[in-house]
Amino acid sequence: MNIHEYQGKQILSKYGIVIPKGRIAYTPTEAKRAASRVSLRGPWMLKAQIQSGARAKGHFLEERAGKKGGIRLIKSRRDIIKNAEQMLGATLVTPQTGPKGKLVSRIYVEAFTKVKRVFYSALVIDRMVPAISLLVAELGELDINELALKHPEKILKIDLPLNQGVGLEQIREVLEFLKLSSRSARSLKRFINGLHKAFLENDASMIEVNPVGVMANGQLIALDTKISFDDNALYRHKDIAQLQDDYEADERELQAAKYKFTYCEFDGNIGCIVNGDGLAMAVMDELQDKGYGAACYLNVKGGVDKDKIASGIKIIMTNPKVEGILINILGGFLRCNLIAEGIIAAASEVGLNVPLVVRFEGTNKDEAKEILQHSKLPVIISDEMDEAADAVIRAIEESD
Amino acid sequence: MSILVDKHTKVVCQGITGNQATFHIKRSLDYGTHVVSGVTPEKGGEMHLGLPVFNTVKEAKEETGANASVMFVPAPAVKYAMKEAVEAELDLVVCIAAGIPLKDMLEVKSMLKGSKTRLIGPNTPGIITPGEARLGIFPENIHQKGKIGIISRSSTLTYEAVIETNRANNLGQSTVIGLGDDMMIGIDFIDALEKFHQDKDTKAIIMLGRLGGTFEEDAAEYYKSLKHKKPVIGFVAGDAIPYGHKMGYAGDVIAQGNISAQDKKEALEKAGIIVVNGINQIHEELLNLFPAK
Repeated sequence: MNIHEYQGKQILSKYGIVIPKGRIAYTPTEAKRAASRVSLRGPWMLKAQIQSGARAKGHFLEERAGKKGGIRLIKSRRDIIKNAEQMLGATLVTPQTGPKGKLVSRIYVEAFTKVKRVFYSALVIDRMVPAISLLVAELGELDINELALKHPEKILKIDLPLNQGVGLEQIREVLEFLKLSSRSARSLKRFINGLHKAFLENDASMIEVNPVGVMANGQLIALDTKISFDDNALYRHKDIAQLQDDYEADERELQAAKYKFTYCEFDGNIGCIVNGDGLAMAVMDELQDKGYGAACYLNVKGGVDKDKIASGIKIIMTNPKVEGILINILGGFLRCNLIAEGIIAAASEVGLNVPLVVRFEGTNKDEAKEILQHSKLPVIISDEMDEAADAVIRAIEESD
Repeated sequence: MSILVDKHTKVVCQGITGNQATFHIKRSLDYGTHVVSGVTPEKGGEMHLGLPVFNTVKEAKEETGANASVMFVPAPAVKYAMKEAVEAELDLVVCIAAGIPLKDMLEVKSMLKGSKTRLIGPNTPGIITPGEARLGIFPENIHQKGKIGIISRSSTLTYEAVIETNRANNLGQSTVIGLGDDMMIGIDFIDALEKFHQDKDTKAIIMLGRLGGTFEEDAAEYYKSLKHKKPVIGFVAGDAIPYGHKMGYAGDVIAQGNISAQDKKEALEKAGIIVVNGINQIHEELLNLFPAK
């Protein structure tokens, strides 16, 4: 789960990390009030709160929102209202949002902070060590992913011990790598330990602070942040779980998550229902080899509740991009007959308007096939994954 | 022969009184697995499925000689159950639960370091040595005793590989291990490859990899270093997942560089592993290795 920048900053500041003074605003009037609270004379930053990187490089779909991006430097008080009016309720498109963009429902008003230089920092889990790892880098013109691909040597990675803070030696290593003056040492230590503690205590899965600003006195300040939380640990963080912004999530994804299934969308036209992420990948690879692609997939995992499975199948059946459905279930924990019953229940509610191919293997597969054969639904039953893929493709081509 | 588990393995089930545990332990018992006891805190002294239930793993080990655990406890309880198993110095733990918090898994991994205990999983179908022992949730009806070892990072794809060994003149399986679908796992390809190379009845190995981490690259390096190699057939899922798709963990790209399924296949191929593009090509490669007489 992700949260907005301003929420992330509030969390970081609880752990001793310095952030610019800022306030959230839902209306232009609130923005004006916020501006005078955070700085008397400005300048100010107006920052659209959508969960996407590269907001500064973005543009608004609506003409009324002006030509500037989602992060704006404002020098006069008058321009606060004008820019807030432009941005609020408009749709911001960034390189990460896709062409549809995201609706801006609130903006963060911050005091502009003068810094001498900036760098990138993050805590991620390196699953191979495994450990929580600190990453710092000077990005220049590249983003962090590009840098990791082209110049991995320009990223410093330090694996942090699970139960203690960073040592002096590691602080020195970071200072040297970033060519920071020793005046920043204390602030750096506080910054890294703050991030580490915030990560652990809130069950984060990734925290990026980018950019970190270095002020004239050497002190570090978090100018932007993105925090992702471990969905599997949200049960012990009710305060964080309630920060979930439903506007940000895809409606179908939310529905699937309600039943503890995963749902993902892609660019193709076949809806896949599987149990297991690896199986999902293999099915999509199979379709790609044959020149087709998945529109979406639903992973029903080890589902044991027929009604939930039926609701999950409905999510796929009602997706207008889906021109054919491929169900590939390998029963173990999950019993195939539950899927068969789920298909019938879902079809009776929303109707089955596209070709549907199923392939069952494992626990209760014969029972499952029998259930479908007796249902009179026009379901194609296949015994192998590649045959099933061929069958759904053929059926889509024939129905065109 | 087999690896890690056989008919002599004495199994305790942690969380035995739960629904899923009951369903699957009954099947494992019917399969002939030597399950000797169960553990459910506060239910010590009861009997379940004809087995004695203890409050702690330590007692179960002392009283029934259990040396391996199959764990059916829910995700939030896994780290506590693991602690017990590690402290009782069990040889092997199979953890079925999915959805274990990352932080808990970091703690589990650090518990395991330097301990006697090996972990399979979490989020795994488990381990099965056909005809001898089933620790987990495998659909046992597809398995048959034989000479192919299977190691998989993808629960459900494991069953596909099992079926492939049957399609190839019923070569069957020596042992099948699901390493687990999670981001962090216990034993990995290298541990399992090492064991299969020591097992004289395993004649060839199938490894199923997937996008995420560098488990396959590390396995390729290890395999390259082996003097006496058994044939390995490799498959990697994830070609169709576009770069940076949220299906994966975003931190992987920065921590390890962008490793595509294609990169992984190339690494395996370079190490001398036979790489297939479709999982249903595995039986053809097996037939090449073991032609019908």
